[in-house]
This record gives sequence, C-alpha cells and structure tokens, in this order.
Amino acid sequence: MNGMFAPRKGRTLAAAGLAAVAWLSIPLVVQQPYVLHVLILTAIFATFAIGWNLVTGFAGLKTFGHHALFAIAAYASALLAKNFGWSPWITAWLGAGLGTLVGFLVALPALRIRSVAHLAIVTLAFAEIIRILISNLKELTRGELGLIGIPAFDPLFLPVLGRVTFGGSGRPAFFYLASVLMLAALASVWALMRSRAGLAFVALRNSQEAAESLGINLARYKFLAFAASGFIVGLSGAVYAHYVRVLTPHSVAGLEVMIMVIAMVLVGGIGTHLGPVVGALVLVGGAEVLRDVGNYRLLLYGALIVLATRFFPQGIARMAEHVRWPRPAVLKPQPDPERP
Amino acid sequence: MSGQLIEQIVNGVILGAIYALMGAGLTLIYGTMRVLNFAYGEFYMLGGYAFLLLTSAAGMPWPLALVLAAVLVFAFAAVTAAGVVQPLLARPGWDFSTIAATLGISIALQNAALAIWGERFQSVPYMVDGTLEVAGLHIPYQRLLIVAAAAVLIAGSAAILSFTRFGRAVRATAQDREAARVLGVPADRTSILAFAFGSALAALAGMILAPIYAVSPWMGVPLALKAFAVVVLGGLGSFRGAVVAGLLLGIVEAVGVALTSSEWREAIAFAVLIAVIWVRPWGLYGVERSVR
Repeated sequence: MNGMFAPRKGRTLAAAGLAAVAWLSIPLVVQQPYVLHVLILTAIFATFAIGWNLVTGFAGLKTFGHHALFAIAAYASALLAKNFGWSPWITAWLGAGLGTLVGFLVALPALRIRSVAHLAIVTLAFAEIIRILISNLKELTRGELGLIGIPAFDPLFLPVLGRVTFGGSGRPAFFYLASVLMLAALASVWALMRSRAGLAFVALRNSQEAAESLGINLARYKFLAFAASGFIVGLSGAVYAHYVRVLTPHSVAGLEVMIMVIAMVLVGGIGTHLGPVVGALVLVGGAEVLRDVGNYRLLLYGALIVLATRFFPQGIARMAEHVRWPRPAVLKPQPDPERP
Repeated sequence: MSGQLIEQIVNGVILGAIYALMGAGLTLIYGTMRVLNFAYGEFYMLGGYAFLLLTSAAGMPWPLALVLAAVLVFAFAAVTAAGVVQPLLARPGWDFSTIAATLGISIALQNAALAIWGERFQSVPYMVDGTLEVAGLHIPYQRLLIVAAAAVLIAGSAAILSFTRFGRAVRATAQDREAARVLGVPADRTSILAFAFGSALAALAGMILAPIYAVSPWMGVPLALKAFAVVVLGGLGSFRGAVVAGLLLGIVEAVGVALTSSEWREAIAFAVLIAVIWVRPWGLYGVERSVR
C-alpha cells in the first residue's frame, strides 16, 4: 500500500484476475460445442480488435486496412503448414512475423501523411490489393474456391493432462488456446501502454506536433505501434486459419471483416483496454444469440457503427469505469468504539 | 488501327464523363465538410433503385423519374447528413468518426438494399434507342446521352457554385468555416445541403448509367472506388481537379484495357492511387498544407 493509487490499482488488478479466472472456467460449466465455438471466435476476433485498437485507439494512427494483415498471416501460416507439412505451432509465429513486417510497410504512409482521409484511402486501397492478390493467385490459394485442408494444431503432450488435441472434437482445448492468445494480447498491450512507449503513443494521439516538439521520435513510435499491432493481428489471423481450416479471400480479406472489428471496438470503447473484448462479446455473441439476425448481420454491424459514433462514442467499457462500484467495507471509516 | 484507337478514346471520354461527375460530387462534399463520404457509392446505388422503381413499378416517363429520384436521394442524403455526419463534426476525433460512420452507413445501406430488393441484377431499358454512325464509329445514343447529361450536370454544378448565393456560401465554408460563420454564412446548413447536393449528383450518375450497368445492391462499390481515385488525383476538395482527373482516368483506363489483363486492372489502379498519394498527396489542384 504505497502511493495514493495503490488501493485502486490493487482492486483493478484483482478484478481483472477474477474476470480472467471466470472466463477460463467457462468450459467447466458449459460443454456444448456450439457455445464454445462462439466463445472461440469471440476470443480470436477480440485479439484482432485489441491489435487494431492499439494502433488506432491508443496511438491515434487511424488505419482501415488491418484485415489485410489478418489475411496475410492466415494464408501464410495455412500455406506453410499445408504445403511444407510444418507444424502450425511454428507457422503461426511465422505468419505473425509476416504480419509484423507488413505492419511496418503500412506504417510508411503514416510517416508522411497526417490527413486521416488520405490515410484511410491508402490503407483501404492496400487491403483491397491484398484481397485481389489472394483471389487471383489461384495456383497458390485456389482463389474464390477457398483454401481447404488446412492442418489443425497438432496434439500437445502436457504434464497432468496428457495428450491434448485441437482438431474437431478438441474444442475445450482450442478454447484455452484462443483465450490464452486473447489474454496475452490484452496483458501485452496493457504493459506496453504503461511503458515509455505507451506514454509516447498517448502523446502522439493527442497532438503529433506537440509530441514532436517535446522530442518524441514520431517515426520510431509509429513504426512500433504498427509493428506491435501487426504482430497481434497476424497471430490472431494464423490461429483463425488453423481453427476454421478453410479460408476464402472474402472471409479474411473482405472489407466486411474490418467493418466488424471497427464495430466491435467502437461499441466496446475505442482507446480502452477492455473495449475490444467487450465489443467482441457483444457482437459475435449477440449475433449468435439472435440467430434470426444472421442474414442481417452486416446491416446490424453498419447500424451499430453509426449509432456508436453518433450516440455512444465513449463505448461500454468507459461507461463501466464511471459506475460507482460499492466500496469494500475495509475502506469505510470505522466507528470508534471508545466514543459514544 | 487508328479507328480502333479513336473508338477507345471515345469510350474513354464517355467513361471519363461519368468519373468526372462522380468525382465532382464527392469532392464537393469533402471540400465543404472535410468529410470523406464512404457511403458515396450507396447514394449512386439508391439513385439506380429509385429510378428503376419509378420507371418500371410506377410506370413514370424517364425524364420525370430522373428528377423525382434525384429529389428523393437529395432528401435522404440531407437527413443522413443532418442526423449523423454534421453532429459528429462538432466533436473531437471527428476526422475518424465521420469516416467510420460513413463506412457503417455504406455497409448498412448495401445490406438493407439486399434485404429489400434481393441480390438479383435488374436491368433498366435504354432511355433512347438507336446508334449514331459517323466515320465508321458506332456509338449508341444512350452513351451520347450519358456524356451530354454528365456535361450538363457538371456545368450546372459549376454555375451554381460560381453564381448563386448557395454556391458562394459553399465556397466560403470550404475556405474557412469559422470565418464564414462569423460573416453570417450558415455553415452547418450549407454543409448539409452540399452533402445532399453531392450525393444527388452520384444518384444521377447511377440513373443515367443504369441502362448500361445493371442495378444491384453492390453497383456503387466499383464506381465509388473510381470516384475516390479521381478526387485524390485531382486534389481532395478541388472541383476542377476532379473533372480533369475524371476525364483523364476514363481515357487512360479505356486505352489501357487492351494492354492489361482485366483481373489485375483494379489492383494496378489501387497501386497507382497509393503511389500518387505517396508522391503528391495533394493531387493536381490541391494545396500542400491540407495534407500534412
């Protein structure tokens, strides 16, 4: 208990720990494969959203082409595993590495241009080129027919648990894999935002001119934001590839994917740590609960973006921060028993 | 050889007229509001559907349907601008939120059209029949009508911008919003009307093109992408730049058709777009300081 923020920080950490434990114990209570499937997709897209939120929400570098990074990593990992017989446990990291490299590439225009409109066009055009590449390189990707027969993660031999499989019937195991991915991304971004780099991100989000005048190396932190974000998004794409095991240009590189992630982050709360996770739960989970909306899913996502920007820009996560939680009894002033 | 080349150039001018018209509407919106309207292609699509329904279902003569459909889209766009876009401009982070919101409107309108009118590609009959035969060229009158209509609409818009009270208000707001407001220009109302005016131009483009391209929920996507390329090439916010760049792009594309395979054409167009933004982000007629 040193410093004025200690009690609050301790409580926040305790709450985060409790939430993580609660999330991880879901498979102990619910075993329906369908529910786990929805939660796995939630965790994977929450990770994507955490990566996009890092660069757009925290560092303020507005980019609309991150579905290209997701797609590149997904296809790279799937093709390496399928064509060379490498283990997905290795190719997923290679895919994430490629996502990082492409993230560097996408950072380049952000170094020169500050106009959000121009950056939006550049990043969207780049992602569109990637989608066309994937659908036209038919010998490699089978184009619109879709890449099939992507290997699953191979079984692990863990102490205590023994052989753990990740394909088909192994859904609880995959739930833990996707959850570890999501929680690790959450923790990494949280740690990053508490480091010197995080302060630099916030500074350049608030004013690039002011940040530069204070001696912050803009180029360096822009590269860092895009690369870190590319790594997280790439990893989520690779894990997605080995989970669904079928990829089409539209399912990973279509603008709809980016729209969905934007909707998640805006509904959850852009520039907050929990926003992307909350948003993914609401959107992926919500769309599955309301099965009838299936056909109107994209209509709903579009409408949610409009409503969130117009009426609810703070998002669910930020709203939750302002709720007055009941204070623990210890912190209340205790009546002195000596005095009547 | 030369006959073929001339035919390609004629096709290029027709294509270019449409690109110029689309670019003019988009750049007008950007210039006045500083908002990149990602739902622009959907106003083009709504124009196509409104025209289709008024002519085929309501049996209206096409010139009347053209005017009425443009008015309908104008009204819808004005409501969109007043209800969603304009209120966002007053808040911090508007440059991002307006792009996100218009992207949301775009995907919502596409899927609303899909839910209401289905995924079928519907065709609209030619407004005028017959073919002009001149010096060995065969040009359907419909295509000539497209060029003529685009030219009239562009010239009309330019005249409105130059000579009317509304046009002066638009130009004042585009130059300096705050100064315009101080001098009594209702900047917010002007922006909303400019947004609706630009969207109506897109809707008119969708109507005159409907007989050649089919009407479908996704018909606006390729045209909107071209419009974005045009306004970036011309310089975001520059009306003259959009017209020049539109004609240029149309001719280059028509002549280049023979040279590149069709499946890579879009990718090449986007690569050129990125290169232009990289080298000269303010385009042909833009101002350098507006970008950095």
